[in-house]
Amino acid sequence: MSSSALVLPAAHIARRGNLFRGRPRCVLSLFLLSAMNLLLAHAAVAQNPQQGSSASHTPGAEVIIKNFSFQPSQLSVRPGESIEFKNQDIYAHTVTADDGSFDSGLIQPGSSWKLTVPKAGTIAYHCGPHPNMKATLVAASGAGQQPAAGSAGGSSPGFNPPKSPQEFHPILVNFTAALLPLAFLSDLLGLWSKRASLHNAAAWMVLYAAIITPFTAAAGWWWKTKSAGALPPSIIAVHEWLGTSLAVIFILLAIWRWRPQHRNTAPGNVYLVITAIVVLALIYQGSLGGLMVFGR
Amino acid sequence: MNARKFLAAGTIAVLSLFGTAAWAQQSGEGAKPSDPQIVGVVSAANQIDINEAKMALKKTKNDQVKQFAQQMIDDHTKLQKSVDDLAKKLKVKAEPSDISKSLHTADAAEMKKLRGLRGKAFDKEYIDHEVAYHQQVIDAASKVLIPNAQNAELKSALEGAAPLLQGHLDHAKQIQSSMGGSASAGTHKHHKKA
Repeated sequence: MSSSALVLPAAHIARRGNLFRGRPRCVLSLFLLSAMNLLLAHAAVAQNPQQGSSASHTPGAEVIIKNFSFQPSQLSVRPGESIEFKNQDIYAHTVTADDGSFDSGLIQPGSSWKLTVPKAGTIAYHCGPHPNMKATLVAASGAGQQPAAGSAGGSSPGFNPPKSPQEFHPILVNFTAALLPLAFLSDLLGLWSKRASLHNAAAWMVLYAAIITPFTAAAGWWWKTKSAGALPPSIIAVHEWLGTSLAVIFILLAIWRWRPQHRNTAPGNVYLVITAIVVLALIYQGSLGGLMVFGR
Repeated sequence: MNARKFLAAGTIAVLSLFGTAAWAQQSGEGAKPSDPQIVGVVSAANQIDINEAKMALKKTKNDQVKQFAQQMIDDHTKLQKSVDDLAKKLKVKAEPSDISKSLHTADAAEMKKLRGLRGKAFDKEYIDHEVAYHQQVIDAASKVLIPNAQNAELKSALEGAAPLLQGHLDHAKQIQSSMGGSASAGTHKHHKKA
């Protein structure tokens, strides 16, 4: 029994329908399982370069054309990324690759032009009518990615483990985002099917969410501190405080859910309504995070 | 008697020195233009380049030259507008000077020359002139206009226009070298787009 509890704790709980029997071992095995999940999911998420390395990726790259110069004169980008060139000068300019791979045509004052970075490597460009205006794009494919060849189409990404605390934010956020809605659904399903085990599962998921979410929030704060104003201020202001509030609310919900004698029973309507509101807030919070990473 | 001779020689020497200085002051080379005169020079330089570009736009069949001429009209019209706006703000009224007069004289001769040319010869003369002209204006701006500008805003506006002029010079030189290559290849052929 002890080995089955370690290997299949979820099945064990479902079968027994009681958490209190053999509890220390049960808790240990559940934590082991969640740790394993964390590692697996970590690897899975880190393999996705968009999510795993988004910390070093500047959303909405732009070049300002002003006073006969491109600012910044050197910009690090990724192949396939889009860059907006905004002409804030009083004269019309162009963005013309030295090798002829792209040419904006005249960009009138106040107008802008978007370029999708065509390839990896250093791309020098200039203004056609004013050849003394020169700048470069340094298009580097992400670490572990195949350089140049097939980078436009999407080469297979390599393993790209997080290198700094803020890179855990997009990983941990998956647990935060999944656990509470699943707990809510599990409770609804438990009410419908009248199964105590589903309420039991919900209680555990709320507990996990309450444990993990403060780490998610901390990683997010770290990211914000490290980005030094690079993130859009209007979005980050809402995201950081809503995120922190959610971490606190999760803990309160877990305490509420884990009141003695209530862990295995169906939760009250007030709890369900509040959880539903929190789930909606969580979805909104996720959309703000996506807005900052993907730019739209 | 020796002393008297020395005095006379000395007087002549001193007088001639003053005379030369006074003459130099009056001539164009050593003249220090006032702010209204600087505005006058910039306005004249803009107008001259716009007029020549308008003629080029009418006469040339070369797309590169056409584009360049249109750019000169657009850029110098905008530069002139910013000069006008600044002059209005600073309550400075453009005044003629020896520099602006010499620019106009040279322009009259150039326009006469351009009127008599057509086809490739016209394109070459126009672009060659644009290279020389922009170089001349850059020199005048950096050596005479900017150092003599009294008003700080006028000075910084002149400094701000320097990369524009440099850009035009570089662009004109680019066209010059590309035309130099094609001119020898097909002197008798009419210009064709590749």
